[in-house]
Amino acid sequence: MEKIKNELKTLQKALMTGVSYMMPLVVAGGILMAFSLMGGTPTATGMKITIPFLNNLNIISKAGFAMMVPVLGGYIAYSIAGRPGLAPGFILGFLANNPIGDTAIKSGFLGALLMGILAGYFVKWMKSWKVPNSLKAIMPILIIPMISTFVLGMFYIYVVAGPVVSLSTALIGFLTNLSKQNIIIFAIVLGLICEIDMGGPITKTVTIFTIAMMAEGMFAANGMYRAAVGVPPLAIMLSTMLFRDRWTDGDRTASKSAGIMGFMGITEGAIPFVVNDLKHILPSTMIGCAVATVIAALGGVTSPVPHGSFITLPVVTNPLWFVVAIVAGSLVGAILMGITRPKLTTETKLEQSKE
Amino acid sequence: MKIVGVTACPTGIAHTYMAQESLEKECRKRGYEVKIETQGSIGIENELEQNEIDAADLVILGISISIEGEERFENKPIYNANVGECVSNPAKVVNEALKLVQ
Repeated sequence: MEKIKNELKTLQKALMTGVSYMMPLVVAGGILMAFSLMGGTPTATGMKITIPFLNNLNIISKAGFAMMVPVLGGYIAYSIAGRPGLAPGFILGFLANNPIGDTAIKSGFLGALLMGILAGYFVKWMKSWKVPNSLKAIMPILIIPMISTFVLGMFYIYVVAGPVVSLSTALIGFLTNLSKQNIIIFAIVLGLICEIDMGGPITKTVTIFTIAMMAEGMFAANGMYRAAVGVPPLAIMLSTMLFRDRWTDGDRTASKSAGIMGFMGITEGAIPFVVNDLKHILPSTMIGCAVATVIAALGGVTSPVPHGSFITLPVVTNPLWFVVAIVAGSLVGAILMGITRPKLTTETKLEQSKE
Repeated sequence: MKIVGVTACPTGIAHTYMAQESLEKECRKRGYEVKIETQGSIGIENELEQNEIDAADLVILGISISIEGEERFENKPIYNANVGECVSNPAKVVNEALKLVQ
């Protein structure tokens, strides 16, 4: 029992370490991306940025986003296994964030989280191998990085990525069927799942689905989905402002940038918070998103562009309902988080009064 | 009594430094020699020299994330505390840590 408790502590410390190193990358990438999108026009292929300078800014911000997932994986592994965990953690995190196979599904930050943990324990185990002295020197620079990356990389492609792809195909079939039935039930299901992994494989699958619907001239599913994408980070920002006794001042400061990203339709701003407190935040954002999709469905919101939140307001139909959907969804999410999160301990409060 | 330590919290902007301050204050109050390194988001500050670590009787780690250079403290009595506790109740942390060397 004691051992399990210790292991859980190690794991929690690892996640915190990963988030702590990832945070500046999310902020740098996300805020620059939000700026670059200000010069964008929503089009059928996504946000099109016509001003060259802002377009370059967008390229830079995307580089920041591309780095954040490997950094998460790398430092999770580092926390568990020490320095030798970094290389496999980075590589496997990068792998998780890159398209694998014909359907080009990537598992994003959830994949990186899983692979970072696996890499950490695998390397820790390798470090305990009894090897002859002659091999000792090359363990950390040759054997550990090579073998751990090879074994876990193959494991990811054959064992993790495969099911992710079949799951994604099944999900598209399921949504297509459901969309022909009751629109409210469809909206609820869509809302619950569309941002469940904050831009990961499930979100990507929903995107593929709504784009396929658009190709057939049906824009309602996309309208609902696009109302939901900004909800998780917006809900977090609102919650830190409304429930002062449930969030630290650090959370409040960090959530401002998440809010800006939410406004611009960049769900990823919510990731650091979600990783930190999965069990309270994720259910809240899921329900918040569902509120947004249902209101968008009732209001007959449609959107012709594969991008979301307030920045696409000029091109959606029934924009008033679109706004109501986002605001209501974010509020519901914020309140649920506020209610379910434990109150700050007196310790943390004491710290704050000293600040 | 010579005490060294490291503090580090996930965000690395506030609690890390408050924990450092309250631990140092508590130790000075008791007349101990003390030096606490901080590993905030800006990186390592007030870095411990190896000879300072060697001379120390006791190491207090007030950390909630993995830190750099934990191997420096090998073979030393280490007390693992939580950052929040270091801030709110440094007396208890130091008392508990002292039990390691008594």
